[in-house]
Amino acid sequence: MSAPAVASHCPYCALQCGMAISAAPGRALEVEPRAFPTNRGGMCQKGWTSPAVLTAPDRLTTPLLRGATGALEEVTWDVALDHVAGTLQRLQVEHGRDAVAVFGGGGLTNEKAYMLGKFARAVLRTSRIDYNGRFCMSSAAAAANASLGLDRGLPFPLTDLGGADAVVLLGSNLAETMPPAVQHLAGVRERGGLVVVDPRRSATAALTGELTPGVDGGGRGSDGVHLQPVPGTDLAVLLGLTHIVLMEGLADADYLATRTTGVSDLRRSVVAWWPERVAAVTGVPVNALRRTARLLAAAAPAHGGRGAYVLTGRGVEQSVQGTATVTAAINLALVLGLVGRVGSGYGAITGQGNGQGGREHGQKSDQLPGYRSVTDPAARRHVAGVWGIDPDDLPGPGVPAVQLLRELGTAGGPRALLVHGSNLLISAPDATAVEERLRSLDLLVVCDVVPSETARIADVVLPVTQWAEEEGTMTSLEGRVIRRRKAVEPPDGARSELWVLAQLAARLGSQVRLDTDPAAVFAELARASAGGRADYSGLSHDRLDADEAVAGPGYFWPVPAPAHPGTPRMFLEEFPTPDGRARLIAVEHVGPDEVVRPDAPIHLVTGRVLQHYQSGAQTRRVEELSSVVAEPYVEMHPMLGFRLGVLDGALVRLTSARGWVEATARWTDRIRPDTVFMPFHFPGVGSVNRVTNDATDPVSGMPEFKVCAVDVVPAGQEAVA
Amino acid sequence: MTQLVVVGNGMVGSRFVEEVAARDPEQRFDITVLGAEPYRPYNRVLLSEVVAGKVDLLGLELPHDDERARVHRGQEVVAIDRRRRRVRTETASIPYDVLVLATGAAARVPEVPGLDGDLPAGVHPLRTLDDAREIVAATANASRAVVVGGGVLGLEVACGLAGRGLAVTLVHGGTGLMDRQLASGAGQVVEASLAGLGVDCWTAARTLGVQARQGRVVSVAVQGCPPGGRGTDAPAAADLPADLVVLATGTVPAGSVAAAAGLATARGIRVGADLATTDPAVYAIGDCAEPPEGASGLIAQGWEQARRLAIDLTRSRTDEPAGRGRPSLAVRVGSVMAAREMRGPADAAPAVSGTDVVTLKARGLDVVAMGVCGGRAGPGERVLRLDDPAAGRHVEVVVAQGQLVGATCVGAPDLAADLVATYTRRTPIPSDPSMLFLRPVQPSPAVATGPEQMPARATVCSCNSVSKGEIVDCVHAGARTVADVARGTRATTGCGSCTATVCGLLDWLGVNDKENADVTVG
Repeated sequence: MSAPAVASHCPYCALQCGMAISAAPGRALEVEPRAFPTNRGGMCQKGWTSPAVLTAPDRLTTPLLRGATGALEEVTWDVALDHVAGTLQRLQVEHGRDAVAVFGGGGLTNEKAYMLGKFARAVLRTSRIDYNGRFCMSSAAAAANASLGLDRGLPFPLTDLGGADAVVLLGSNLAETMPPAVQHLAGVRERGGLVVVDPRRSATAALTGELTPGVDGGGRGSDGVHLQPVPGTDLAVLLGLTHIVLMEGLADADYLATRTTGVSDLRRSVVAWWPERVAAVTGVPVNALRRTARLLAAAAPAHGGRGAYVLTGRGVEQSVQGTATVTAAINLALVLGLVGRVGSGYGAITGQGNGQGGREHGQKSDQLPGYRSVTDPAARRHVAGVWGIDPDDLPGPGVPAVQLLRELGTAGGPRALLVHGSNLLISAPDATAVEERLRSLDLLVVCDVVPSETARIADVVLPVTQWAEEEGTMTSLEGRVIRRRKAVEPPDGARSELWVLAQLAARLGSQVRLDTDPAAVFAELARASAGGRADYSGLSHDRLDADEAVAGPGYFWPVPAPAHPGTPRMFLEEFPTPDGRARLIAVEHVGPDEVVRPDAPIHLVTGRVLQHYQSGAQTRRVEELSSVVAEPYVEMHPMLGFRLGVLDGALVRLTSARGWVEATARWTDRIRPDTVFMPFHFPGVGSVNRVTNDATDPVSGMPEFKVCAVDVVPAGQEAVA
Repeated sequence: MTQLVVVGNGMVGSRFVEEVAARDPEQRFDITVLGAEPYRPYNRVLLSEVVAGKVDLLGLELPHDDERARVHRGQEVVAIDRRRRRVRTETASIPYDVLVLATGAAARVPEVPGLDGDLPAGVHPLRTLDDAREIVAATANASRAVVVGGGVLGLEVACGLAGRGLAVTLVHGGTGLMDRQLASGAGQVVEASLAGLGVDCWTAARTLGVQARQGRVVSVAVQGCPPGGRGTDAPAAADLPADLVVLATGTVPAGSVAAAAGLATARGIRVGADLATTDPAVYAIGDCAEPPEGASGLIAQGWEQARRLAIDLTRSRTDEPAGRGRPSLAVRVGSVMAAREMRGPADAAPAVSGTDVVTLKARGLDVVAMGVCGGRAGPGERVLRLDDPAAGRHVEVVVAQGQLVGATCVGAPDLAADLVATYTRRTPIPSDPSMLFLRPVQPSPAVATGPEQMPARATVCSCNSVSKGEIVDCVHAGARTVADVARGTRATTGCGSCTATVCGLLDWLGVNDKENADVTVG
């Protein structure tokens, strides 16, 4: 290797595997995993092949503008930006400031996420901003904020999992979504303490080990327990586990007395969820519930265990009761005395690359930088001060993503939308309706690196830079702030979104200053976050670089001062609530928005495959990945296949109240026979979000991606009735 | 404001108040609750668990809304004046616009000599918190218990007392245990399992009398089929020594006040599909009510009635018509089963099937029954049976029109959990219903074959989609260590789980150079 490798991180998920990028002159870019705490030198196929995204054959390098013919035509940056700025200005004059909406993404760097929020609120002065993290972390965030006073996905380093006696994964398939993370489960698997709650025998559920043959094991394997609830009933499982812990006297009484409030209400609320009732609602056998509760209790410090963790993922969060489900998960961790203790805890496994940082810096409809509330007068004064504007000029709270999308192009709704780092046509629920809304806009502007499905229907497409072409920071799933570094020059014509936003601001005649240098933007972000919950004010690109140069421990927010060492583990002394205690909040199981019914008798659950990321806009363009999983499929149990006359490999149609989708059936005994599964990374008739439910959680606004009711028939027979 | 008076503060009455409060943010209803027991509402279903020593008596309290409702505890209603619309207690007279009776049921005491008048010391029904407390206290000094009644509660109590170390004899009037739910084959398996737990069973047995000495029980005289006997034998008789007797002989709906007020009663207070009694201002829910489809005595039915009545009462004129609502609301009562009822035509009487899953709560004895069971299958219903008494297992499924309409599971709790999910949600069943006897989601363990048997196409490293064939090719191209294979194929560089398999392949190929191994991921 001639040129020194650049130390950076993988462009995909929130694990942010450390990678070394070598850009030898005249040779294709190469990446290799490097030692970093989250990936420990491991990297999955997505990471290994990530350089291919930089050179995707259809990489966008020229701005596109929909011309008179209706086709997207290549134009200069000046023409494109003038058109965008002019149209935005006109629409805001005619229809008010909220006529322009902004949609961000959890893959954007902290700097871009921050600047996008600032651009929306200080330049456009629109309240209509939200982001795809609403589809990702909003339920976990809402629950953690309410119960613990603060939301940091994992409030402890990921490596801490290694020492625990028990780890519960609810609705997380990390063996598929972030494979190197599986290394951190080695210890707990060895001790037989891995608990996976998932309707499917996913790759992660299979980590619980081989089942003992001939034994009525309730999902017990050699390395742990797999609970397979009926889709949409995870909350009832948690209520049942909490019931058992409290009723069998397994709770940590000292901890409950000194570090929490609300145990009486919680106890009363779970008394009605005795195990036999839970078994009837969830399909999880009573024995398995009891065994799991006892396993967790034995692992808890109160009973002399090495520690236990309760972790949630999208499988339980993307639900109309996602916030309640996470609240119940936190309650379980609290009654066991886990949260705020070294070696134990509750955490949410963040999905998108910067899903953590993305929710802290002001892309969210109700938040300002530093994880501050947009309705808090002190927060408004502080942020307005940093931005040099009058606090009264800051708009108030907007609306969450699903509502924002529903309002697009409607009377009184936004007429223009700027999309950054998101492929809504694939990733939003009830995608057909979303497409209709997007097409009804006067102006749809998409910033992307490739012509994503959403870009293809845009009025203006702006080619932007991506991971290895730019500097910045990301905040990983553990709240660790890390540096993304430039290893290669971007292709001619592609520009950073920081530059795009500054150019638009100038054309809009704004007096607000928008920096384009990532280090300067970070410095401003740090000031804006000072005193907020996610306080980065002690950090700078220089400090992060210096620490990494000496192989330092890294920095976990909050880092409230330049001399502050950061906060790897939170809540050790107290919780950031008014009384310093965590709140036990009673929640009730209501069930999914849609229940199976005679004309839609089967549950549909959705999820991911290892080879693809999110809407697949990047990974479907990587030959090595798309050759492994080229197209969508429908996993179904052979019993269901026989019953429905859908053979393995046959084309099958799923129909919900919202639409239909077709894909190839794949028989597997790893799924309940009352449930089918589809991955969501694909466009066209196989795009599963054409059928998913856009009903949302009343607290978080999270849509119910993860379960809906469908009819399943062999394709071509749907008209026969 | 509407004066809503709820008589009864048990599981159904308190749930009803919660359901109304949740749907009445404008506080259109002024709610008064009268509870006969002095306690806050508690979970009666778990009383047998208290007897078994598995649950603490003090931990049974249920959610209750004392802020929203005026709650009078220890206030028994003695009369209803329907003309003036008032209910009377010993001390007060309370006006109502709408009256909801949720008075529950009382334990039925069999009419046998020795149980007339006050019960002897040591003889207890199990219906209330006080009953449970007294039974638990009695177990401290008792060594021999007789449980009268072999239904769900009787079996739970018998197992619970046996678990506490008492010698337990169960006396059941029917020919088979739990015969409301179980056909004879299943009952026999249950009986054998009980014997294994130390519980002797008399079946087809009459309780002839309860003998007491100095006011304290000493024995129970019975006649019937003794433990281990066959139904065809001539009845035997015995005087079973006992220092604790628990009566689990059913319940009597608490409807006497309603009857005295002129409301139609049969076994319980007669109500229509709308849960109204013969007086449209008076409703009855829970165990005191007798709806058209009959009372099951199960809490799911009472909670479903509480929810339905709350929806009906709080619905304003402009709302949706009766019986329609978001299905998810049904799940709130804890039983997805109720969801089915949401789909019927608005004016049709709601079906009860679905709220009728019976699960025995007893350690060491798993019994679940639902829908059509107990040998009551009708024409057009297929019954499939797996009778495996040697393994303590008996499973029966009843199928009609491609759906599971009933099931009985003894000694098969995991399968029971699957069948309940299928039954309550009416999800499709296999073309051949015999497949219902298998747990579908029990993936077979990975075939334990060596690397040589593994097909070349088999994936070894799933993180990087590397097949056995590619690793073999890599070795043929010169790789000698795991690190070589990692460099050549990326296998082992993801989560590292396949490192052992790659080592095995290298061993098999006879090239594993462990000396120089520098495994990248460990």
